[in-house]
Amino acid sequence: MKKTLLSLVMIVLALLVLLPVLWTISTSLKPLSEVNQYPPQWTSSTMSLKPYSDMFFYLPFSTYTLNSLIVACSSTVLTLLFGSLAAFAFSRFTFAGKQIFLLIFLLSQMLPGASVIIPLFQLLQTIGLYDTYFGLILVHTAVLLPFVIWLLYGFFQTIPREIEDAALIDGCSRLTALRKVILPLALPGIGATALFSFLGSWNEFFFALILTSSDSTRTIPVGIGLFVGEYLDVWNQMAAAAILFSIPPLILFTLTRKTFIKGLVAGASK
Amino acid sequence: MKKSTPYLLLIPALLFTVFVLVYPLVQNLINSFSDVSMITGRSGWTGLRNYEHIFEDTLFWRSFRNTSVYAVVGTALALVIGLGFALLLNLKLGKINTIMGCLYTVPWVISPVVAGFAWKWLLNDHFGIVNYWLASAGIVKAGTTWLGNPTTALLCVMLARIWQFYPFAMVMFLAGLQSIPQEQYEAAAVDGATMVRRFFYITLPNLKTVTSVMLVLGVIWSFNDFNMVFVMTRGGPMNSSMVLPVLVREYSFVQFDLGRGSALSVVVFALLTTLSFVYLKVISRGEST
Repeated sequence: MKKTLLSLVMIVLALLVLLPVLWTISTSLKPLSEVNQYPPQWTSSTMSLKPYSDMFFYLPFSTYTLNSLIVACSSTVLTLLFGSLAAFAFSRFTFAGKQIFLLIFLLSQMLPGASVIIPLFQLLQTIGLYDTYFGLILVHTAVLLPFVIWLLYGFFQTIPREIEDAALIDGCSRLTALRKVILPLALPGIGATALFSFLGSWNEFFFALILTSSDSTRTIPVGIGLFVGEYLDVWNQMAAAAILFSIPPLILFTLTRKTFIKGLVAGASK
Repeated sequence: MKKSTPYLLLIPALLFTVFVLVYPLVQNLINSFSDVSMITGRSGWTGLRNYEHIFEDTLFWRSFRNTSVYAVVGTALALVIGLGFALLLNLKLGKINTIMGCLYTVPWVISPVVAGFAWKWLLNDHFGIVNYWLASAGIVKAGTTWLGNPTTALLCVMLARIWQFYPFAMVMFLAGLQSIPQEQYEAAAVDGATMVRRFFYITLPNLKTVTSVMLVLGVIWSFNDFNMVFVMTRGGPMNSSMVLPVLVREYSFVQFDLGRGSALSVVVFALLTTLSFVYLKVISRGEST
């Protein structure tokens, strides 16, 4: 009895929490005439997926999607490459200044975007990378690297050194040991980190907004953020874009929920 | 093994850090003492004039107050709500827990831009469902504006921010709750402690460290938050919901005064560095206990 009641409370709370999402889904399926209608309705007989195809024709979301994919994938590859090198150094070597370097990476995670954006904007403009994929990829990589290093460092620490020592005795070099022994063992952790990186870049709005200026480089969040307010008359297509854009994060998060939360809890409490 | 190996491995990551951290901070300082326009470029030193302009600007003080309220009150409320959800999920009702746990985390997983969009549309004066319900219940008049009203705009943005942040607190509190030794509860039960007493004397003290870490992190992140305010109100109406990160963009890329924007960036950075040191203190204290 008590259990049923509690379950009911939980379901009601879930509906309450998901209200903004559910309302957006409902809007994304309605024709424009019913979106701009009072009183608003949750469902209608003319609901269809048409806004989802319309937004690719009437709004530049096909370009934005391609841009987002290019930027997010490239940033992920770069952060993983440089991040695992640094994390390997931290977890397997003792060297002068190690604590200071760790502290630098810890602190740069808290970096306010607002306090670095102007010089980055000036720099990218000077070297001709403003409003280019490459410029945005560099910035995203740099912004995501510290946290990636911390995550990977945590995962690498969990791999016993003995396994690696055995590889060294067998005549592997340090880097071969990294490539052939540690990386395969750390694969679940690396996978979770890759997803974090991808999502970080995929969802990133502030730098993408200020460091791009044309439709050929803008990412999806910039498209959505800029159009809210400007394309007031196409709420249903905007809602469709918002929903489509949220699907990859939701899928990726569901897949890696356990590993990710474990790493996060360990990272924030250590 | 050579001594230089670890340094070589760190070089790429350090170069990136220099690129987004060291160089911009130095350049910001230089900018903040110069006259830099986005259109005409740098035209000489101005001393402290940019800073004077900022501190004389009532908009700066308003933004500072807004940002503080947004960060502190928003984070505190998100923590309370997150704790409530964590306690609920900790009741262990079986499979429904896992499903609900996932659903409750959705707001945190979706992009801030999407969250801002969804809330803006939900609170729409004419076609939003919230206003329709409130009007039908006779609480407000139909067509009441929330985001277009200077007294409620910031509150609405804060609500959306709390909605996005509480799941993080929930996840962390849940992990904290699950690491409390069961023996403590058993002993308290033997002594006949009521549920309320057990909550205040066992649960809360055990969550102290995670709470303080979350509070400081949450305040830092919300202090930095540009997305929610920009998407929902752009700081308006009449600057009533303006926060510091949005103001940096306003000075630099709307008024094209990069010098003043940089000076404000330096101020934001100083405030955030102070908060970060508090964070380091908090986590190092957590470690020693």
